[in-house]
This record gives sequence, structure tokens and C-alpha cells, in this order.
Amino acid sequence: MFLALREIRRAKVRFGLLISAIGLLVLLILAQQAIQNGLITSFIGAIERQSAPVLVYSVDAQRTLQGSVITPPLEQKVRATEGIAKSGRIGQGTFTVRVNDSSEDSDAAIIGYDAPDLGAPDQLTAGRLPEGPGEAVGSDNGFELGDRIQVLGSGGQTADTERIEVVGLADDAQLQVTPTLFVKWPDYVASVKSANPDARGVLPSAIGAAPVAGLDSATLAERINDSSQEADALTRQAAADGTPGVAEVRSSFQVIFLLFGLVVPLVTGLFFLIITLQKSASLTLLRAVGASSGLLVRSLMFQVVLVIGGGLAIGIALYTPLSQAQLGEIKLSFDVGAVLCWSALLLGLGLLSAVAATRRVLAIDPIEATTGEGGR
Amino acid sequence: MSLALKELRRRPGRFGVATVILTLIAILLMFLGGLLDGLTAGNTGAIRAQQADLIVYSSTSQDSLVRSRIDPEQRRQTRDVDGAGDVGELGSVQLGGRIEGRGRRDLVPIVLFGYGAASRGLPKPPAKPGEAWADDTLKAEGVKQGDVIRVGPARSPVRVIGFVDDTRYAGQSTLWASLGTWRKVQNDNRPDARVGPGVSQALVVQASASDPADLAARIDEATGGSTSSLTEDEAIDALPGVAAQESVFNQIIGLTVLIAIIVVALFFALITVERIGLYGVLKALGADSGRLFAGVLLQAVIVTLIACGIGALAAIALDAVIPVGSIPFIATGGRLAGSTLFLLVAAVIGCAFSLRRVLGVDPATAIGGGQ
Amino acid sequence: MSESSSTPALEMEDVRKVYEVADEEVVALDHADLTVGSDEIVALVGPSGSGKTTLCSIAGGILSPTEGRVVVGGRDISGYSPSELTEFRRDSVGFVFQTVNLIPFLTARENLLVVDEIGSRDRKRAQERADQLLEELGLEDRAGNLPSQLSGGQKQRVAIGRSLMNEPALVLFDEPTSSLDTKLGDQMVRLIREEMKSRGTAAIMVTHDDRITRHADRTVRITDGRISA
Repeated sequence: MFLALREIRRAKVRFGLLISAIGLLVLLILAQQAIQNGLITSFIGAIERQSAPVLVYSVDAQRTLQGSVITPPLEQKVRATEGIAKSGRIGQGTFTVRVNDSSEDSDAAIIGYDAPDLGAPDQLTAGRLPEGPGEAVGSDNGFELGDRIQVLGSGGQTADTERIEVVGLADDAQLQVTPTLFVKWPDYVASVKSANPDARGVLPSAIGAAPVAGLDSATLAERINDSSQEADALTRQAAADGTPGVAEVRSSFQVIFLLFGLVVPLVTGLFFLIITLQKSASLTLLRAVGASSGLLVRSLMFQVVLVIGGGLAIGIALYTPLSQAQLGEIKLSFDVGAVLCWSALLLGLGLLSAVAATRRVLAIDPIEATTGEGGR
Repeated sequence: MSLALKELRRRPGRFGVATVILTLIAILLMFLGGLLDGLTAGNTGAIRAQQADLIVYSSTSQDSLVRSRIDPEQRRQTRDVDGAGDVGELGSVQLGGRIEGRGRRDLVPIVLFGYGAASRGLPKPPAKPGEAWADDTLKAEGVKQGDVIRVGPARSPVRVIGFVDDTRYAGQSTLWASLGTWRKVQNDNRPDARVGPGVSQALVVQASASDPADLAARIDEATGGSTSSLTEDEAIDALPGVAAQESVFNQIIGLTVLIAIIVVALFFALITVERIGLYGVLKALGADSGRLFAGVLLQAVIVTLIACGIGALAAIALDAVIPVGSIPFIATGGRLAGSTLFLLVAAVIGCAFSLRRVLGVDPATAIGGGQ
Repeated sequence: MSESSSTPALEMEDVRKVYEVADEEVVALDHADLTVGSDEIVALVGPSGSGKTTLCSIAGGILSPTEGRVVVGGRDISGYSPSELTEFRRDSVGFVFQTVNLIPFLTARENLLVVDEIGSRDRKRAQERADQLLEELGLEDRAGNLPSQLSGGQKQRVAIGRSLMNEPALVLFDEPTSSLDTKLGDQMVRLIREEMKSRGTAAIMVTHDDRITRHADRTVRITDGRISA
């Protein structure tokens, strides 16, 4: 690969420009992948994190907790569905709160549950689940262990309003890009009444349900839907994916990935085609003195791998510190799977894009060395 | 100059590569920009439609419409402030809308607003209860003038009396009804968030003679600090996600322009290498470097304009083809022109990389293949 | 038309050109003296590396001498800056190069008009002159052809036409017959002589081919940077 490396060394500027362009593209692709994941998680993380395998919304809710209200008749019908092993109420509201007596108010989403295995986070990163009154698990993007939260009344008053202490943390547990607290049902009711003292009975936003042994969640969801026209039952993942906006975010990013993803092989392929054309005299000479086509093609492929590999290295190196950052409320993360996938994809596409240049190399006829210009 | 043009015309293949890549980048930039514009419009249409000098929320609402409550006393206090001209109310409720002929679980997300005469960007509020103007994105859902949409669990009927443009809120289509209609729909569908008579979520204020920022401060003072008055721009910035979206997208767009600079630099450097011999001859004949470089610049500009032209056509086609609600993308003239400008600047800067080489071509190379 | 017949086309006095190549001094031209009359055709003969190309480049204002005086058509260009030299070349000198002579994407006629293009002169007059030259050179029906569509001899004639477009004091020919066979080469040099003489334009033909010298008024030999009589 002596020739390949020599050429790169001799033409540092152009190879440098190409590698930097690819590096920036890789950075943008990985960053946007992280943004997409972070964005979606900050909207529906709580849905994926909570433990109920089946969520039942009211059909008017358009698959959002905040828009959903389960009336007592509906609740009865749901609980009576065949195949339910267990069910529990889930309530959700967004409140103005004061954290640790700060002078600034902030937002918090509060999710209340009847049973820990139907609505509480399924995994904690720190601390424990609530046991006594006034305790909560908080999304770790927004709260810390020991934070004291006070729910504000509608007029901003703090007398007699619900107070909550964070005793546990969960990650990827936000809802609607808002710091989220998981509390037991009575605390949820107290929060609602703090914010709106005129509230008459507090209805659940959703019902969490678990199927009996031997029945899968999807089938249970179907049965619940069959039992009532007012019910919109979904498995946990379907509820997360079906939240309005998620599909939009995914499709928008897909177009972005497609476009950015195309630029890399296009720039690479065309670059190598042009420089192959430009050095066709040298290539002809090499063929004339005995270099095989195979050698020249391997040399070309080697350069492609170096260039894309170099770009990937730069892009990933720039992306790593970025992935630890937080963009507003959106937490980014270093997704090893995504990095590996994109690396493989771009490398593959890059090699594919060098086909045109390869064909040019294979088409060289050594006899042209003797008939070409340059004879003095 | 015309030498550069002739080369472009007679040797299009040589520039084809750079054009193709620049076109892809142009499409990228225009798509990113259009996506941002679509997201922003979908979030801010309702507020912009107020054409208000100020929007007044309650101070505990975190400037969020849905959590804000303005009572009649606060409204009176606001009206009494010197310089407050028209003061109107605003209320909203987010519900699922049922349209005739669609499935039971197939709801359209709708935000129903109640508004008054102070909202200058909208037609007069419907006189009869149960009527509303509809944002024209609802047309894509099959809604026609005269149709009745049933909103919320209570299936409150709302008749569409006509359409308005660019009034969406939080990415959702909107209905614009009288305040009375809104209160009824809110109370029937959201019993745990009832609003009494005269209660609204925000006030829309048209200033009569004073500076809006100053008026805002005086209103908040007059209400004893129980309100938070914002200019329309501040209200837009306070909408969840708007500022963050803009910032993130602009950074991505900026990086993409940087990539464009590098790509132009790269491919024009490659083209220049091929033409060293030509430049040598031209310099020997007496062309000065400035003129030669101007030719290169001209070619870069033309290639970029062609790429942007194709990109713009692609963006407009995309806008027409994307079904409403799937991807929030709109192609606006301003954005397309802006993207073109960015790419032109990128092309000029990218070309500058080749400047040194063009300047450095020695006319002596034309004679005898160099000495 | 040439300058008044008393002004020499070229006066080179004691011209030296020294290059620094990897810490060593290479003397390409050593105390060269050369005078070319206003309508004289001079053949400059020497082996490869003799400095003939360097001399030609200095005479044509492509290179500046390290020492010495260079006067072309009465104009002292010895101390000219690069931009002044550029202007000088545009206005006063014609070139016919050995290779890469014509611009490949321009037609024969457009190749002649290039000189006017790169200056900002009289378009109409240039077009008239170009057409006239093309006719004289027997190329009027090839005017719209690209170089790829012309034979070697035709390309050379287009180059000659271009070299005369700015009515130069001096035309420099670098190996004008190197890519032509004996017969065509002979024809070419005759043509050069005819065109130069009919206009009273001076020319220097650089060559290592002795057969050409027959058609020159005078032969100057150069070896190792030095001119022998």
C-alpha cells in the first residue's frame, strides 16, 4: 500500500479537505441521531419507563396522558375485561412547582400510580421507590436525590400545598420534555387539589393493566378495546411510539439522515473518480511496467477505507464530548449501537461509491504508455 | 469573463461533479430550513395571529397558556392602565376532534380557542355559540365549511363557518370560537379545570400609544405582580421548544454551510489542478491572475446558482407532495433565498482556497514544459 | 504593422539569469547579448538545457533577468514588476508554444480572440482582425472548429494567427516543428517566414533542429547559457 500512502502524503491538502468534510458529516449525522433519540425520549421516556405493560387511555386522549380522562364507567369496563391479572389507576398532570425553596418556579410533570408494578418506573438508577406519603422517584434529568418539591396553588400560594421529597431517581423518565415525578396515588390527588382547590373528585388519566400468565400484552390490549368503544388500550411500546409527534420526529429525521448519508458516498466517490482520471497517465505507466490491475484497485480501496475511516475517527472524536452534553431539556447520550451502525453503513457506501473510479482503473490499457503524449 | 462562461458551457462535465454535490447540499440546507420554519409556524401561528402588542399571562403560569388563569379583576386592572388600548381575552382547550365519516378511534388533535375583538389577526369572533373559524390545515382532514366537528369526550359540536390561515398552536390545528363557546367546551370536557364566567387564560393587549415594554411593566404593577406581560416576540420565545429548536437547527445549518465550504474548496481545487496548463498559457499571453481568479469565482457562483435553483425546485416539490401532518415542512421564499445566499458565500470562500494556486501559476511553465 | 524600422525588436545586454536550486546556484543564462532587428527572423539553436528557453522567456517578458538590460520594441522591461510584465506581454509580444497552445474548449476563431478577451480592447476591431488572419492562414472554413477537430498543422497555424493578433513587436516560437514530420515542418517554417516578413514583424524561433535555420535571417547558437557568435 506504499503507493496509496505516498499519494496521500503528496496531496495532503485535498485528502485533508475530504477527510474533514467527511468528519463533519459524520459528526452531524451522529449528533442528529443523538438529538432524535434524546428528543423522543424526553417526550415519552416516562411511558417507556413506567412498569405497566398495557396502558388504557380514553379514546379522546389521542394517546397522550395529559389529554386522557378515565370515567368510572369506563374504569369498571376495563377492570372487568377477561384476562386482566391486575389493574391500577395512573394519573398525570403538569404543575408549577418550587424546588428546594428556590425563588424561581418551574414545571414538573407528576405521575401518580396505584401499584408500583403498574405505573412506577421499572428501573431506578438511585435510591428507592416511594414508601410513605410525600415521596417520589424523579427523572434524573431534572431532579436529584433529596430534592424537596412544593406544588404551587393556582394563585401561587404555598400554604397547605402538597410537598414531595425525591427518594429515588430513574433515567430516560421524562414526559413532554418536563422533569417528571412518580408518586403514589394519594400524593397525586393531593397535588391536583393543591393546584386547583375547586377540583371535584380526581379521575385517573389512564389505567395500567397486566395480563394473566400465558396471555400477551398485545392481546390483552385488543380485548380491552373490544370491551369498550371509549377505551384506547396499547402496549407500553405502542403507547410510546403512538404519542403524537413521535412519528413526525422520526420521519423528519429520516429524511435528514437520508440526505446527509447520501452526501458522504457522493463526495467520496466523485473525489476518487476525479483523481483517478487526473492520474491516468501515471496509472498507465504503472500498468506498463508491470503492476496488476488488482494491485491498483486494492490501492484505491485502501485509500477509500483510510479516508472514510479517518473521517469517522474525526467525527466520532468530535461527537464524544458533545454526546455528554444537554441541549436544553434534551439529554444526549453516546449510543454505541448507532455509532457502529453508521460506521459500517458509511464505510460500505464509500467503497461502493468508488466503483466508478475502479472501473476507470480496470479500463486502463498499458499500451497507452507508449503512444501517449509526454515524449520529448 | 466570457472565457470562464464558455468553459462552463462547453465543458459542463468538468463542473458536473461539483454541481451535483452542491445540489444535494442545497437540498439539505433548504430542507433543514423548511423543517425549522414548519415547526416554528406550527407552534407559533396562534400567537402570531393575535397581532398583539402584549400577551398577559398569570404570573404563576410559567408563561404557559394552559396553566394561566386571568380573572375579571385582573382584566379590569389591565384595562384601566394608561396606554392599554384594546384588551381582549384568550382561552384554549386541547381536545380530540371527531369528524364525520372517520373511525371511532381516529381523532384529529385540535386546540379550540376562545377570543375577542382585540385579536387583530383574526376575523371577528363568531356571533353564534357553537361556531368557529377553522385553521385551513383542517381542510386536509376533509373538513368543509358548514361541517360540524365534535370535540372532546363530551362530543361538543362546533360548526365551521370558514377558514383562517397560519393559526396553528403546539403543532396542532385550531378552531377559533367566541369566548362563551370556549368556556362551555372547556367546562363540559375538562371538569377538573373549570373556568368560571369572565375567567380566561390570557389577555391580548393592543397598546394605544405607548411603548409595549413599558406598558408591560405598568400592567404587571397595576395587577400587583399577579400577571406576567410579554411582548408578542417574548410570548413566542416562551412557547415550549421554540427557542431550543431554533438554536439546535441553526447550529446544524451552520455546520452544513461549513461542510459546503469544504466541499467547494475540495472540488474546485481538483478542477484547478487540471487547468494549471491552461492558466500557464493564459498568463503567458498576458492574462493577469486577478482576471483568471475572477473567472473561477464566476464559475463557482454560476454552479452554485444552478445547484440552488434545482434545490429550490426540489424543496417546492417536496412541500407540495408531503401530506399535511406527516412532516412539518414548509418552503418559504425567504428561506430558499437565504439558503442560496449562504451557499453563495460558501462557494466564494471555498474558491478562495484555490486562489493561491491560481496566483502561483508561473507563465514560464507554458514554454518548453518548464525549466 | 511594425515599429519604425530603425528600432530593434529586441536588445538584450549582458543578461544573466541565475536560479537557486537546493542550495546551489544554477546559471541558466550567462552574460547573454542579443539584438534582433525590427523585421529580422532569428533562429536560436542549442541542445536541451542550453538556456534557449530561458532566453526566450526573458525576451518575451515571461521571466525577469537577474541582471542585465532587456529592451523590446523600444520598451525597457528590465525592471518591470510582474503585473507590468503581464500587460507588456498582452500588448507587445506574440507566443507560439510547443505544447498546450490552444485552449481546448474554444473554436479556432475564439482562440484568436482570446488576447482581446483578456485585455479589454476593441472587440469589433479584434473580430475583424481575427477573420482577416484566419483567411490569410487558409483557415476561414475551420474558424468554428475546436482544436480537437483540427490537424496538427492547422492547430499550429491557429497559434500563429493568435500570436499576431495584438500586432506585436516580436513573436517567439518555441520548437514550432517538433510535432510535425519533415515535410509539414518545412511548410510550417515557410509559412512563418511569409507571415512575419509580410508584416515586417521580428521573430525568434527556438529550435534544436538545424534544418529550420535555412529559413531564418540569422542563426544564433547557445550552449550552457552562453551565446556563441
